[in-house]
Amino acid sequence: MGNRSFRRYLGVIILACLLGSCKKSESVNTAFYYWKSTFSLSAQQSDILKQSAGNNLYLRFFDVNWNSQYHNAFPNAIINFNQRANSLKITPVIFITNSTFENIAANAVDSLAIHCSALVNTIVLKQKINYKAIQIDCDWTLNTREKYFSFLKSFKKVNGHFLEATIRLHQVKYMETTGVPPIDKGVLMFYNMGKVTTNASQPNSIYNQADAVKYISRIAEYPLPLDVALPLFSWSVHIRDGKVIQIYGNIGKKELSNTANFIQNENMYRAKKSFFLNGIYIKESDNFKLEEISLVTLKNAANQLAPHLHPQKNRTIIYYELANLNLSEFNAQSLNQISADF
Amino acid sequence: MAIAGIVWACADSGEENFSMFSPEAFVAKEYTPFFYDASYWYYSGNVEVDDNNNRFNDQIVSEWDAYFNDQLSKPTLRYLLLKASQKGIDSANNYVNGKITKLKPDSIQINTSKLDKAKFNNLFAYLKLAKECEKFAVIAPYGWYDTPPTLPPVSAKLESSLSSAFNNSKDPFIKQRLWFQLVRYYFFNDDTIKSKTGAIDNKAGILVWFNNYKGTFPQNLTYYRAMGYVAGYYRRKGNYALSNYLYSRCYDYSYELKIPSKFSFHAQQETDWRATLKLAKTNAEKITLWHMLGMEYDPVRAVKEIAALDPKSDKMDLLLSRIINMSEGEGESNFSGKVADSTQQAIKKAEVTEVNLIDSIALKNNNTKPYYWNLAAGYLNYIYKDYKKAAKFYDVAKKQLPANDKLITAQYKLLTILLNIDELQRIDSKTEAKITEPLTWLVNLRDGKEKIAALRFDPALGICANHIAQIYQKQGDWLKANCFKDSITFYTDSSHVQKLVDLMTKPQKSAFETTMLRYYPHTLDELYYHQATLLTYKEEVDKALQKMSLVKKMSPDTLYANPFNSRLNDCHDCDHVAHQKQKFSPLTFLKTMQSIKTDLKAGKDVYRNAWLLANAYYNITYYGNGRLFYQSAIIGAIDFDPGYISAPFQKMVTSQNIAEKYYLLAMANAQTDEQKARCTFMAAKCERNEYYNQYSANNKNSEIEQAPVPTSGKYFADLKNHYSNTKYYQEVLQECGYFKRFVTGK
Repeated sequence: MGNRSFRRYLGVIILACLLGSCKKSESVNTAFYYWKSTFSLSAQQSDILKQSAGNNLYLRFFDVNWNSQYHNAFPNAIINFNQRANSLKITPVIFITNSTFENIAANAVDSLAIHCSALVNTIVLKQKINYKAIQIDCDWTLNTREKYFSFLKSFKKVNGHFLEATIRLHQVKYMETTGVPPIDKGVLMFYNMGKVTTNASQPNSIYNQADAVKYISRIAEYPLPLDVALPLFSWSVHIRDGKVIQIYGNIGKKELSNTANFIQNENMYRAKKSFFLNGIYIKESDNFKLEEISLVTLKNAANQLAPHLHPQKNRTIIYYELANLNLSEFNAQSLNQISADF
Repeated sequence: MAIAGIVWACADSGEENFSMFSPEAFVAKEYTPFFYDASYWYYSGNVEVDDNNNRFNDQIVSEWDAYFNDQLSKPTLRYLLLKASQKGIDSANNYVNGKITKLKPDSIQINTSKLDKAKFNNLFAYLKLAKECEKFAVIAPYGWYDTPPTLPPVSAKLESSLSSAFNNSKDPFIKQRLWFQLVRYYFFNDDTIKSKTGAIDNKAGILVWFNNYKGTFPQNLTYYRAMGYVAGYYRRKGNYALSNYLYSRCYDYSYELKIPSKFSFHAQQETDWRATLKLAKTNAEKITLWHMLGMEYDPVRAVKEIAALDPKSDKMDLLLSRIINMSEGEGESNFSGKVADSTQQAIKKAEVTEVNLIDSIALKNNNTKPYYWNLAAGYLNYIYKDYKKAAKFYDVAKKQLPANDKLITAQYKLLTILLNIDELQRIDSKTEAKITEPLTWLVNLRDGKEKIAALRFDPALGICANHIAQIYQKQGDWLKANCFKDSITFYTDSSHVQKLVDLMTKPQKSAFETTMLRYYPHTLDELYYHQATLLTYKEEVDKALQKMSLVKKMSPDTLYANPFNSRLNDCHDCDHVAHQKQKFSPLTFLKTMQSIKTDLKAGKDVYRNAWLLANAYYNITYYGNGRLFYQSAIIGAIDFDPGYISAPFQKMVTSQNIAEKYYLLAMANAQTDEQKARCTFMAAKCERNEYYNQYSANNKNSEIEQAPVPTSGKYFADLKNHYSNTKYYQEVLQECGYFKRFVTGK
């Protein structure tokens, strides 16, 4: 499978070269991920989706988790539609935890694939969604590689659609050991590359140039066509007694800037008291390290990555993600400019 | 109240919590699921307590059993209430009314002559409705649904059937259950509560039904379960204050209700929590709220608040145990020195707050279990290394301990042992006499000779033994140090090993020595085997044989291959599967070596005997087919790279000197060029192995497979220059690529 895709990929490169456009591919598509379990877009979100991405949406349909009580894999956080999505160009995404493959029996992988495909099809049928491709997101490892790849093969067989899967940077760097998945196209996740630490001066773990360098050199060797996923999110790292205890997407600059609750020291925010905030209990003296992606950082990321990618027609740049997008920092125009760098 | 199967598993796996403080000794049993567990939501991974569909089954059956006054057997009730379908109920009813004569299934029995028919009719009528309600209320929690759990359509008449049954029922037992069904019905089916965002509607069915009749019925499990649904209604509406308050009341009611109530307790913002507190009508209610906050989020803060409200509240018991057990986790990294400097300061500050609070409460001695607080304060101070304070608290606790409580007494004993041993600076014979009893007690617990349910003693053995070993080490008593903490370097010196053998074989051991040896991991056989091994590599075969003869149970007991054979290319697997006329044990191996040596000394057949001895010494190195010989309990069996062999023995079992010496002796006495060629090539192998030994010693982080190809060396040249006329030379060319490359230059 991998080989076939590779040949097809080579074909694309050769064709592109013959046409004299080997330098840069002309057509880049922009798209968004949507990761919340209730599908409901605000007017601004709909606008930016339409204007910058031509309504291209990678929509998380459900997760698959391992349930240790029932010794089985089950879907979780299945998407709920508060509004119609059938006017959009939807690519369903399934997120499967690695622990699912750590625990599942090898002979249960086929039926997992059948279940997943059936659930996707029930949802699209109900929502009258047409889809051309489907994406699987799983941070597989050496130990789960065999089961995950056989899942992908079965899934392709059952589902029949163009199959994509996310590729993390470590999977590119160590492609010989982690293997290349049997899919039609990969999506390179160009984020979450650094260590999440308690150290205030440690560079941003979502994206930083120094960490990216460690992974970037082998991207061109990767034997699959690659789309790119870029980060459009921020998070805060919750630190207690000198240890990282959690990461939150729902505690950001707005919450941390409240001086009644926090004392700021650069990107560190120390709690002045013990209190509840957005469903989280914060203890006096807890620290929050804010890690943000600004337009400038995003541009740097794009500039760093682009030269390392093989030219590819119709590459899609997928931004993660639409539901938590900071609309004061990013707009359709700026995102299109970034996509154009590829 | 059944809390079955919650057992603290001792020492069987390395994954359980690091703990020496048993909440079981101090905290009421009903809090067991909430004892601290580092890996699981509920203590010891007890997932059964999390089963929402079956949680109340036992209670429900018991209540109906009481209602029927034993007229129906428990299995029959269990079947009717929990298992039977509508059809099953009808069939039982037909049987009671004499319409059918056979009752199904066989496991149930109804003695109709004894049965109160009116009550049975009540049950029958109730079950008809209840089974209908279960369709939406009791659902399998997981499955490949397209929308999370789809509820089957509810019969349009159900609402009116339930309310008219309620209005017509005269029996308070039945009436309350119908009331519960109605409250639950509206929780699941009332349209006004379906939307999350809608404001609270006081006319919502669930609230109307609950509020109208809440004063009518006894405040039993059914009452609080109904309240739980009301709390759920408020939670769904985002009114966390009301919901938390009601959940806290449910939590307080019974063991079964604690789990779902704790699980659902939630504050979104600080205002929610403040509003929750305001709803508490009494100090006791407020204490439960703090208790719930403490359990989930912040036990230190909660204990502080509760102690101020009521120093006698037992709601602090669980929280205190969680504080201690969580600190042990921190302490564990302190014990093993794993904490990074940068985090030390933050941890220190949290520790101080924690210790100060627990100290201050313990010092007041004004709660219901002062011994608990003093033990906890003592132990916390021990964890954070203030031994003086720890001792003071333990002394106070000692006088307060309840009489005849085996677990608490043992807990006290365990904690004081830890402190006393840690406080030791020197150990003389007097000290030894003093610590004999506690050390024996611990090792008896380990060996199951003494059993104290729920006592968490396991880590104490290692901690005490380590500390004692350190002191002996400082005092230069390496023998005793090694008994308490076994170290591989100890075994490099045969005289050390002999001292240990002497101690173990001494007929009159002191009580301390006897106990000490129970901490020592190896057997006498293992020591003899080891001595024999050392002597073998020293070429003292006679003495080695003597020692080996003392071994009663040999391990390893049989060598995989014939150790006297040689092979051009090393292939252990080939040698292992090769047909062997004689299998050698380590003992018969040494015996054979001895007789070969004797012949050699006598000048008999020198070439052949030197050759056999050379092979034997080659084979018992890392590179040979008999490496099993040295892979004993003491040296260990890791063999994929010489770099991983226990460091003190690496040289002994990899060195090629002895083998090479005998190959050269064989060569000097060889008669034919074939023989000489053979000896030269084997010497070349030794030479090349030495190169790998050197590589391994100089490159700690690499394995020998990564080593560059060695230079050709002396013996390759000899072979090429002197023996190219032999058949063996041709074989070598065929088999050994390195040699071929050397000869051809390609």
